[in-house]
Amino acid sequence: MAAYVAQRLGAVMVIMVAMSVLVFLATHALPSNAAALILGQYSTPETQAALEHKLGFDLPLPVQYWRWASHMLQGDMGQSFEMERPVAPILWDAFGRSAILAVGSMAVVSTLGLALGVIAAVWRGRWPDHAASIFTYFGVSLPEFYWGLVFILLFGSTFHLLPSSGYANLSDGLGGFIAHLVLPVATLTLTLLAHVTRLTRSSMMEALDSMYVKVARARGLPERLVILRHALRNALIPSITVLAQDFGFLIGGIVAVETVFAYPGLGRMLVGSLERQDLPMMQAAILVLTGVYCLANLAADLLYGVVNPRIRYGGSVG
Amino acid sequence: MSAMSALASPSAEPLLEIRNLTIRYREDDRQVTAARDISFALRRGGSLAIVGESGSGKSSVAGAILDFLGPTAEVTGSMLFEGQDIAGLAPAQRRQMLGWRIGAVFQDPFTALNPALRVGRQIAEPMVQHLGLPLPEALARAELALREMGIDRAAEVARAFPHQLSGGMKQRALIAAALACEPPLLILDEPTTALDVTVEAQILRLLSRLRREKGVSLLFISHNLSVVRRLCDDVAVMYASQLVELGEVHRVLERPAHPYSKGLLASRPPLAAASRGSRLAAIAGQMPTTAEPDAGCVFAPRCPFHEPRCSTGPQLLTITPDGHRVRCWKADALGPWPRQQVAAAAAPVFHRGDALVNVTQVSKTFDRSGGLTAWRLSVAGGRPLLYRSPKRVPAVNDVSFSISPGEVLGLVGESGCGKSTLGRLLLQLLRQSGGSVEFDGADLARLPAQALSPFRKQAQIVFQNVGSSLNPRLSVGEALDRPLALFRLAKPGDRTKRVEALLDMVRLPAAYRKRFPHQLSGGERQRVAIARALATEPRFIVCDEPVSALDVSVQATIVNLLADLRDAFGLSYLFISHDLAVVAQLSDRIAVMYRGRICEIGTAAEVLAPPHHPYTQMLLASAADDEPAPEPAAGMIAAATPGGCVFAARCPYTLGAVCDTTSPPLRPLTASHAIACHLDILPNAAVPPVFVHPDPQRAAI
Amino acid sequence: MAVRLAELTAAQFIRRRRRLPTSLVVGGTIVATLIVTAALAQWIAPYPYDEMHVRDRFQPPNLHYLAGTDEYGRDVFSRLLIGSQLSLALGATATLISMAVGVPLGLIAGYRRGVTDEAIMRVLDVMLAFPPIMLVLLILAVTPPSLLKTAIAIGVLAVAPIARVTRSVTLDLMSGEFMEAARARGERLHYMLLRELLPNVWPVLMVEASLRVVFAVLLGAVLSFLGFGVQPPAADWGLMISNGRAFVDTAPWISLAPGIAMSITVIAISLVGDGLREVLDPKVGR
Repeated sequence: MAAYVAQRLGAVMVIMVAMSVLVFLATHALPSNAAALILGQYSTPETQAALEHKLGFDLPLPVQYWRWASHMLQGDMGQSFEMERPVAPILWDAFGRSAILAVGSMAVVSTLGLALGVIAAVWRGRWPDHAASIFTYFGVSLPEFYWGLVFILLFGSTFHLLPSSGYANLSDGLGGFIAHLVLPVATLTLTLLAHVTRLTRSSMMEALDSMYVKVARARGLPERLVILRHALRNALIPSITVLAQDFGFLIGGIVAVETVFAYPGLGRMLVGSLERQDLPMMQAAILVLTGVYCLANLAADLLYGVVNPRIRYGGSVG
Repeated sequence: MSAMSALASPSAEPLLEIRNLTIRYREDDRQVTAARDISFALRRGGSLAIVGESGSGKSSVAGAILDFLGPTAEVTGSMLFEGQDIAGLAPAQRRQMLGWRIGAVFQDPFTALNPALRVGRQIAEPMVQHLGLPLPEALARAELALREMGIDRAAEVARAFPHQLSGGMKQRALIAAALACEPPLLILDEPTTALDVTVEAQILRLLSRLRREKGVSLLFISHNLSVVRRLCDDVAVMYASQLVELGEVHRVLERPAHPYSKGLLASRPPLAAASRGSRLAAIAGQMPTTAEPDAGCVFAPRCPFHEPRCSTGPQLLTITPDGHRVRCWKADALGPWPRQQVAAAAAPVFHRGDALVNVTQVSKTFDRSGGLTAWRLSVAGGRPLLYRSPKRVPAVNDVSFSISPGEVLGLVGESGCGKSTLGRLLLQLLRQSGGSVEFDGADLARLPAQALSPFRKQAQIVFQNVGSSLNPRLSVGEALDRPLALFRLAKPGDRTKRVEALLDMVRLPAAYRKRFPHQLSGGERQRVAIARALATEPRFIVCDEPVSALDVSVQATIVNLLADLRDAFGLSYLFISHDLAVVAQLSDRIAVMYRGRICEIGTAAEVLAPPHHPYTQMLLASAADDEPAPEPAAGMIAAATPGGCVFAARCPYTLGAVCDTTSPPLRPLTASHAIACHLDILPNAAVPPVFVHPDPQRAAI
Repeated sequence: MAVRLAELTAAQFIRRRRRLPTSLVVGGTIVATLIVTAALAQWIAPYPYDEMHVRDRFQPPNLHYLAGTDEYGRDVFSRLLIGSQLSLALGATATLISMAVGVPLGLIAGYRRGVTDEAIMRVLDVMLAFPPIMLVLLILAVTPPSLLKTAIAIGVLAVAPIARVTRSVTLDLMSGEFMEAARARGERLHYMLLRELLPNVWPVLMVEASLRVVFAVLLGAVLSFLGFGVQPPAADWGLMISNGRAFVDTAPWISLAPGIAMSITVIAISLVGDGLREVLDPKVGR
C-alpha cells in the first residue's frame, strides 16, 4: 500500500509539472500581441518594446517559465491585462462559486447515480431497468448547455419558478441563494448522472453474475444480503474510477453551464479570458482547473487503494 | 456396504435419492438436453461419484440439486433429500436448505471466494444465517473450522483476503465454509481439478478424514477416475447426458462393464515406462453434443463392440442382482477394451555426444517490475527508508541436459516450477539470464538475428491452451499456409496440397481447411496446432503441456499421434507436463523439476523406479492411490532459503542444516540416472522403506 | 478474454444466418439515412442556409418553414440539414484522426512493453490529466478556429483513451499463445501487428469508435456554443443553439430544433455502438 501511495504521489507531481509547462508554452504561442492589447491606443513600436521588456517577454522561454511558475507557487498570479488588477483574488472568488456548483453536483451524481445503477442491475430486464436505460440514453445524447436552455425555458420563462441566471450571495438570504443554484446544478447533474448510472449498472451486473455471488446463494444466504454485502462491495470499487473520470467532464460542463446561466464562476471567467486574450487570467484559470482535476484523480486513486483489498493488503499469507 | 444396498432394502432411507432427473436448457431457439433420466441414491454416510468427461452432463446434475442452473433450465423428475422432494419446494425454503443441510464446493477456488470480504467472514456467514449464531461466535467457529482443515495459522488466514492465499488454502477455506453448519450432504464439483497434484492429494486426504470423523455424505463430481477411487464407495458414469454405468467403485474401476467405462479406464496411461511401440488404448471420435438416444446407443459410433442391434432403439439400463447397473445389453459378454500395439521397434540407443539440443547451466530470472513500483518505503525503526525490492527468485536455475535426435525428454513438475519457462528458453522465445542453449552445435545466443531463421524452422512448439493457441481470425488453412509461405517450403500453387497433407498427418479431414478455430473441438484444435508445428518440417518440437487441457479420452489419441509422428519423422521432443503418467508413456528420459531446478533425471524406467528424489516420490505417491509420506503442515510453503535446497521446506527427509544452506548438485547414480539430493540414496537405513507402488491400473482391464 | 471476444466475432462473421440485434438495425438505418441526407443536403434543403427572408423572421414551424425561421429569417430546417454535414464530418474526422494516431500507439505500447510502453503511457497520462475541455480549449485558443482545427483538437484529445483501450486489448491478446507461436516462426514486427494482432483488435475498436464519434459531436457542439468552434454564419448546430439563446422565450424553436436533430443523431450512433457491443458479447448489457 505504501508503495502504491508513493507511486501515485510521484506520478501526480510529475504530471503537474508537465502540465504547467504545456499550459505555459501553449499560451505563449499566442499570435496576439499582448503588449499591444494592454497599451491599447497608446501602442507604438517603442512603447510595445518597452512594455515587453518590463513584462519580461524578451527573456528566453525557460527563464520566463521559471519566473511564472515560482510566482504561481507563491500565490501570485500576475496582473490581468484587461482589468489591470491582480488575478488571484478575482480567481479565488470565482473558484469558490464554481466549487459550490461542483460539490452540489457531484454529491447528487454520486449518491443518485450509484443508487440508480444498482437498482437497474438488480431489477435487470424489468421496468426499472428499462426506465433507467431510456433515461441514460437521453441523458448522454445531448450536451449540458442544451438541457440548460430547456430548463430555462421550462422553469424560468414558461413557469417562472426559478431564476434563470446569475448568482445570489448567501448573506442575502438562503432562499435566493439556493434558488439561483437549482437550475445550474440540475443541468450539470443530468448528463453525468446518465454516465454514472450506466457504468454502475454494468459493473453491478458483472458482480451479480460472478461465481462468488452464485456460491453465496448456494450457501443459502438471503438475496438481500447477497446483493448488499457481496455484490455491492465489489461493484462499487470500479465506480470510484468512474466518478473520478466524471469529475473531468464536470469541469467541462461547468464551463458551458456557467455560460448558459451567466453564473459568475471560474468557467465563465475562463471563457472570457480566452475571448479577450487576457494571458495571465487564462493561464491561471487553466492551471487551477487542471490542478483541481489532478488532485481529484489522486484522491480517487488513493480511495481506490484503500477500498480495494488487493492493493491495501498486498502480499500473501501462507 | 454400497449405496445400492439402500435400494435393495427400502427400509434404510437414502439421504439423497434422484429419480428420473432430466435437465433441459433453452439455448436461443434450440433445446439442449444436458441430463436424461438420471436415477441414483446416496445413503447416509456414503459417498457417490459421478464421473464423466466435459459435456457429459455431470455438472448439471449437481447444479440441479443446488438450484444453480438459472432460468433457462427446465428440470423434471424428483430429487428427494431426507425424504422431501426439493424440486417442489418454494424458492425460499429451497434456499434455506442450502448451506444448512447441503453444502457445496466448486471447481475454481479462485473465483468462488468474494475478493472484497475476509475469508473468515465468508465462512461465518452461513452459521449466522442458518444457525442463528452471533457474529463473534461464528467467527470463532470459523477459525476452528480452518484449523480442522489442517491450516496452522488459522487466525491469520481467517483475517486474510482471498487474494492473499494460495489455491490449496482457498479450497480448504471453501470446504470449511461448505461444512460450517455441519450439513449431512456435501456436494463437490471437480474440487481438485484446478489444483496441483500434490495439493490435490492433500485435499483428498482431508476429505477422507472429514468423512470418517463427521460422517458427512459426499456427492463427488469428477472426470478423474483415480481421484474417485480414493474417496468414494460408488461410482456413476455419465456419457452424453445419460447414466451408462452405476455400481461399487472397485467393481467399476477394476471390472468395468460398459464399453465407455472400459475405454475410459484403458485410455489412462499406466504409471510405468512404455516401450516405443506401445500406444494407449484410445476411444476414437468425440462425445456428441446433441445425443439422440431414441435412435440407438449414443456410444455406438465410438464403440469397438458395436453391432447393428445397438443402433435400433433406445438402450435400457439393466440391473444385476447385486445392484450394479449397465446401459449395454452386451455387457456380460464383453472382453477388455482392445489395445493397440505398433510393431515393437528396438529401443533406440542415444549417444550423448551427438546431441541435437544441448542446454548448459541455463538460468532465467525475470527482472523485477521496473519503474517506481520497484521502490519500497519502509518505516521500520522509526525512520523512513527508501530501497529497491530484492530481485526475484530465478524461474530457471542452473539447468543442464541434452536431447539427442529422435529422443523424447519428458519434463515433469507442478505449476510454477519453471518448466514452461525452460521450454521457451530452448526456443529462444525468452533470452536466458545465464548459461547457453545450443542447437545442432551452434550457440543460439551468439547467432545474429538473421541466422536464427533456419533454427526457427527446425525447432517448433505446441502449446497447452487450446483456446488461444490458434488465431481466432485465421482459418485452419490460412494458419497452416503461413509457415509454408514464410519459409518458402512450397510454391504458391502447391501449398494447398501441402496443407491437405499436413491435415492428413494429424488425421483431420481435408475439408477442415475452411474451418475456424471456434468450430473445432479441443482435440481438433490441438491437432491443428501440431500440424502447424509440423509445417516447417522441424527436427525438434517443444510440447508444453499439450494434453493437459483435454479430456482423458482425447488425451490418449493426441499422445498416440505424437508418438506416431515421432516415429514417422524421427522427431525429438521436450515433452512438458505435470502428469507423470502421460510423460512416462511418451518419454525415453524424464527430468523432474522443482522451483527452477532439476531434482532428478534419468531414463523413464529409472525415474519411476526407486531410488527416488523425495519430490519424485511425492509426485508418484500423489499420482497413485496410496497414502504418501506425511508433509509438513498445510499451506506452509515457505520461500526457499537462498543457497539451500529448493525442496527443503517441503521435504519429509530433510537432514537439517545442510539442506538449508547448500543446494545439492546432481549426483549420478548410473550413467544415465542422476539425483540432486544430500541423502545417500543408496542403501541407507535412515531413509524409510523405498517406495514401491502396486499399480492397480495396470491390471488387465 | 480478448481472444474469446475475437472468437465470438469470428463466429458471427462465419455464420451467415445471424440475427442482428435490433439496436444495430434501428440505429444503423437511422445513421445511414443521416449520412445520405447530409451528403445530399445541398439538394434536399428547401432554401440555402444563409438566405435571409427578412419579412418572415421569427416564424414558428409551418408548412413553408418546417422548423420555423430564425432572427434573420433563415429557414431553420435547411440550416439543420446543412448543419448535419458539419456535425457528421466533425465526428468522423476527429475519430479518424484519433484512431490513426491512437491505435498504432496502443498496439506498439502493448506489444513492446518495457521502456517503450512506459514512455507512451506517461505521455498519455499527461494528456489524460487535463479535463477534456481544457486540452481542446488550449489548442483552439492558440489558433483561429475552424472546422478542421476543431476536428484536429478533438481528435488529439481522443488519442489517449483510444490508445489506452487498444493497449489493454493488445495486452490481453498477447497472453494468447498464437502470438508466441508466430514468434516461434520468427515473424517480424509488422506481420505480428498487422496480421496477427490487428484483426483481433478491430471489434473492440469499432465499439470504441462509435463512442468517440458521439463524444466528438457533443464536444464540437459545446465548442461552437462557446464561440470557439465553427464561426458564424455557418449552420452549425451548436452555433444555432447559441444564437437562439436570446430568443428562447419568444422563439424557442431556434434553439430547440437543432437540439432535437443532435439528439436523434447521437442516439442513433449510440444504438449502433450498443448493437456492436451485443454482437461481440451477447451477455454484456443484458
